[in-house]
Amino acid sequence: MQQQKQGNPAVVGLGGFGLTTMVLQFHNVGWMGIGPVIWLGLIFGGLAQMIAGFQEKSTGNNFGYCAFTAYGSFWISLALLLIGNQFNIYVSSKTDIGWFLVAWTLFTAILWIGAMRIHGAMATTFTLLLIGFILLDLAHFGYPQLTVVAGYELMLTALAAWYMMAHVIFADVFGRNILPVGNPWIKV
Amino acid sequence: MHSIRKLTRAALIALTLTVTTLLTHSAAVADESAATPDEVVTKVWGAAKVLQTKGASAIPSLNNADGPWVWKDSYVFAFDCRLDRMVAHPMRPDLVGRPIMQVTDNNGKYIFKELCAAATAKNGGWVEYQWTKPGAGQTSRKLSYAVTADLAFSTGIQVAAGVYDETLSLEQLNKMTAEMADPGNYSH
Repeated sequence: MQQQKQGNPAVVGLGGFGLTTMVLQFHNVGWMGIGPVIWLGLIFGGLAQMIAGFQEKSTGNNFGYCAFTAYGSFWISLALLLIGNQFNIYVSSKTDIGWFLVAWTLFTAILWIGAMRIHGAMATTFTLLLIGFILLDLAHFGYPQLTVVAGYELMLTALAAWYMMAHVIFADVFGRNILPVGNPWIKV
Repeated sequence: MHSIRKLTRAALIALTLTVTTLLTHSAAVADESAATPDEVVTKVWGAAKVLQTKGASAIPSLNNADGPWVWKDSYVFAFDCRLDRMVAHPMRPDLVGRPIMQVTDNNGKYIFKELCAAATAKNGGWVEYQWTKPGAGQTSRKLSYAVTADLAFSTGIQVAAGVYDETLSLEQLNKMTAEMADPGNYSH
């Protein structure tokens, strides 16, 4: 009996991760307001990425399971945090948001090590993400001008995530590997 | 004879007191509608603190002509020196979102270039220019105090407010502000 073809949840997870990361940077460099970041953060970066994360469970991919579920939670939390500020519900100051970002930086550092064992594209994405988080941490603790540097750097992170998404989708639709992802940075 | 002298002295004291009271009262009445420099500093610091605490969600309150940042004959306005853009102006909604750096007063002074320079100082700074007082038909001498407000996911925006006054000097105002910022350094 022929087994039904399964989709790869990573295409949704990477799509949502990349797109919301991208729009936040459009805000960070000053091109647009925060509104679209909140709503996209709740739905694509949040809900969709989190569902993709849960779907990773049945594929046996613990890295994707953890990463997509966690970064989906990141976006939902960030959006709710900003909505909370609007409605005076547990208001989060710039310093509070700074510490929120520090915690995510530490979490990302763990996944970064794992990413280096997966393939070059994943290692590149997580290296850029980690650097972006560190820049945002510094921007929230005394170096606000780094917000713009973080903005452009994290746009590259978003593009790297979309590259991996495109790698999976193109391999499927073209029937061959179009976009190489490179060797793991850590070889055992 | 002695009692007449006593009576005259008492009458003179009473008259002096009455005149002094009347003068003080009229001065108070005249000042009641005019914002004072210390009020300006307090309001600007208050607005900067709200932006630090609540982020971008605090900006709409700065655009509200009936909000907490409009008082007597003054108001707080916010602008972004890096992006060359008016962020909030409760009296002139037509200016919001528009470039600011080319704005000059009647004497050709680039108002926002000076406000932006003043806002980079540690405790902010005062700038003198000509501007129309709310409700008045012509411009008058305005002294505005500007600071940079820190907010999440931003390089910071500048916040300012001013007094309409013909006599106060910038030196007096900067000294007063330094004293308010660090009262410990000044003994009375």
